[in-house]
Amino acid sequence: MAVTVLPFHVVNTMTGTKYARMIEDPAEYAHLIKRAVRPLLVIGTWALTKSVAGKPVIDYAVEIAKTLDIPICATAHTKKKLLEMGVEPASSYDIIEILNHLKDPEWKGVKKEGNHDLVMFLGFRTDLGEQGLSTLKHFAPHLKTMTLCKYYYPHASYSLPNFRKDDQWKEFLETLIKNLKEKEA
Amino acid sequence: MAVVEKKKNLRKEHVDEIIKADDKWEPVGHTPMPELPDLRNWDMRLLKTYKPFYAPMCDMCCFCTYGKCDLTGDKRGACGIDISAQQARVVLLACCMGMSAHGAHARHVLHYLIEKYGRDYKINLGDQILVEAPHIRTVVGLKPETLGDLEKAIEYVESQLIHAISSLHTGQEGSALDYESKALHISMLDHVAMEVADIAEIVGFNYPTSKADTPLVGLGWGAVDRTKPVICLIGHNPVTAVPIVDYLNEHGLQDKVEVAGICCTALEVTRYTDKAKVIGPLSRQLFFIRTGIADVIVTDEQCIRTDVTIEAAKVGTAVIATTDKACYGLDDVTKQEADHIVTDMVKQGKQALIFDPEKAAEVAVRVALELAPTRKKVLVTKEQVPEMAKNHRLCNLCSQVCPNLLPVGDAIEAAKNGDLQPLTEVFNKCIGCGKCAQECPRQVPILNMMQAAASWEEWNIRAGRGPIMDTEIRKVGAPIVLGTIPGIIAIVGCSNFPDDYNEVADIVEEFAKRKYIVVLSGCSAMAAGMKKDKDGKTVYEKFPPTFDAGGVLNVGSCVANSHITGAAMKVANIFATLPLRGNYEVIADYILNRVGACGLAWGAYSQKAASIATGCNRLGIPVVLGPHSAKYRRLFISRKEEDDWTVMDGREKKLVNTEEPSPEHLITVVESKERAIITMAKLCIRKNDTPQGRQLKLTHYIGLHKQYMGTLPDDLHLFIRKTSDIPIFFKKEVLPYLEKVGWKEKPVLTLPTLIGTYPSEVPIDAVVH
Repeated sequence: MAVTVLPFHVVNTMTGTKYARMIEDPAEYAHLIKRAVRPLLVIGTWALTKSVAGKPVIDYAVEIAKTLDIPICATAHTKKKLLEMGVEPASSYDIIEILNHLKDPEWKGVKKEGNHDLVMFLGFRTDLGEQGLSTLKHFAPHLKTMTLCKYYYPHASYSLPNFRKDDQWKEFLETLIKNLKEKEA
Repeated sequence: MAVVEKKKNLRKEHVDEIIKADDKWEPVGHTPMPELPDLRNWDMRLLKTYKPFYAPMCDMCCFCTYGKCDLTGDKRGACGIDISAQQARVVLLACCMGMSAHGAHARHVLHYLIEKYGRDYKINLGDQILVEAPHIRTVVGLKPETLGDLEKAIEYVESQLIHAISSLHTGQEGSALDYESKALHISMLDHVAMEVADIAEIVGFNYPTSKADTPLVGLGWGAVDRTKPVICLIGHNPVTAVPIVDYLNEHGLQDKVEVAGICCTALEVTRYTDKAKVIGPLSRQLFFIRTGIADVIVTDEQCIRTDVTIEAAKVGTAVIATTDKACYGLDDVTKQEADHIVTDMVKQGKQALIFDPEKAAEVAVRVALELAPTRKKVLVTKEQVPEMAKNHRLCNLCSQVCPNLLPVGDAIEAAKNGDLQPLTEVFNKCIGCGKCAQECPRQVPILNMMQAAASWEEWNIRAGRGPIMDTEIRKVGAPIVLGTIPGIIAIVGCSNFPDDYNEVADIVEEFAKRKYIVVLSGCSAMAAGMKKDKDGKTVYEKFPPTFDAGGVLNVGSCVANSHITGAAMKVANIFATLPLRGNYEVIADYILNRVGACGLAWGAYSQKAASIATGCNRLGIPVVLGPHSAKYRRLFISRKEEDDWTVMDGREKKLVNTEEPSPEHLITVVESKERAIITMAKLCIRKNDTPQGRQLKLTHYIGLHKQYMGTLPDDLHLFIRKTSDIPIFFKKEVLPYLEKVGWKEKPVLTLPTLIGTYPSEVPIDAVVH
């Protein structure tokens, strides 16, 4: 598809032909998540250090996961914070390790029920995130990837736009959570 | 067959002549002077467990005029190449660049020294170092005794490069694994090249050797005495730096001119004189140039700003380029009289290219002496910053172009309002590229403003010490192999750090206080010294400089990395008495299974870092990388639960499924300092650990995991072979965990080896010592 959106950070500008579908409507995101059979939420360290208009990103991550009981993969040292919040992540692979597993269509997934069909990412350095999404774009055609951070990620299957203001991101995430809590028609 | 056999015999004759095979200091192993295919089976065995993981930077190939070709997913290019092979091809290219940089450095130093002293000039690394060149002994099969012998080693390295680069041409190699094997080969040779360079420098320039307590030298841009004429050396090669110091000494100017360096030349020159200063890592290069503190900049090779001449001219600093690798379009004035060059530089502001090191040294000193009194060195003050930032509007273009993703725009906005703290935080994470200021549509001089935000504190770094002594290896060999010294942590590489540079000192401290041996080099060695504790001490002042439990030592510049990997080889040779000569597979196998060493390149950015790390991997040493390094495109990682961890028991000569992923990865990227620390502790676990050693290693792994992750490790059961491996301190927690996960005792193993698990001419008995 043609693309006119560039990622916020110039280092992530992509040279290629297959770009993420940019989605601005939280209802559409919610629909994609609900449609997934085995979704997974992968949380990175920026979830610990960044906030969305004053609210820690990790709080949003947990709220999203709780809506549909989506399993969490806590990368780096995010597990400790999740445990302090009373949340037991389904796994604590580091980012490269979980990506390596996801590449294998026969992998049993973090709940040993089969590999995941939709993998959501929240809280990663954008450069590391882009590289990881590149791996999955090329080597994991059996799954879709979705980003929840406030920047456009060209290597994802589905990405948010570059939100100029945190309030826009906040509104998106809160509406998304609301939509996820609602039953599909 | 006859032709093949004849060719093989001719090659053997050639090799025997070069390595002086008749000299029986050790039996010649199976692979003296290996060529590309000779260690391919070893590589394939490694790659069976540690499969390449690719993260393409670019979906296209644009190497030839068939392209650009889209390689997305399962598409192939017009030549037939797929995305995996293309990634491996780019990795090989990077490794060739890295190895060439070190090899050409070695060649340049050797050429200079051979011209000066002759090929028969003896190598002597002091009375504590008899195994002088473990890489050359192991890979080449030669025991180097003279500079001429070092030249033979570098000639062999050069000969291999042409074949590897040839394979990068369109229509050559088509397999990702074979490209990786070639990358491993070239990177193994990188360590040979580095060893040649560093040994030549030690003997040619009389660097300290056979000692641990090298002097502490001044570190930091604040350590530079700017009231004196200042000569700033940038790069890696000391061929001109040494004559500068000599010239100063010969003319009684050693206390009148300040000599300081950025990047590895700083580490080289401080091995030659402790009066010189280390300004800082390469991330401080543009920052320092723009201060105008340097009166003269002398460049040599590698990691120099390619716009150094332009930037220096802006602040009235003279530039002398000295090597063929980096000429910057300058006029070659080597044959001109020094007087004439000095006049042109001082009166007309000319910059010079001078290939004669002695002449370049004389010119540098004389120009510095003449220019310094005419120049004002005024730094930006805190009071000036709001005025400098007054045109700033929060457009965030500066933040968008920052390669380290820093919130530069917010920091400038705060500075505009008189709050410099955010800019200080940005500076401490800044990699020093200057893109922010370049991008600014309002020309806010961001990097210059950092002069007011930066700390001008003076720190200390221990001067590079070169090789680890044989006596040290004798002392620590057994504890390392048995596991009672929990590991060797090698913190190396560049300053492309993902976060605050203080993280390096934190990592050093964490491992040193746990009695690991911590070895540093290059820009990481500098960053480690740039943090003081509450008593005002850096890690170099807090911990002993010995290669022993709890020691913190700086081996020196990039090329001194060969001494770190060389130390692991010496453990195999000196402690385990395995012959090195042409015996690469046995030595690498020993290190992989028995020497608990792990590298960390937290801020790696260069192609040299790629080849250094890949060379470590072929030798069985795992490496952890910071998050930027995902851009290297390739890692070697396992899947601990699914992969086959069968090894040969060398004494029993039977295959044993250990179910133990040790080491788990050969090269991986982690996101955070905390995860890096945990991962390194785990990657020091080896199958050969005794129960006592394993207990100690698990004490650290569990302790660190609990500290940073809040729980026992999820994979702890994989590393407990018998209940005797369980650390006593954690036994009450670990036993219920083992019961919960259904842990069972694992088979006993007396001598773990991969030899015998893949096709090799090396017999299993070769690993039994």
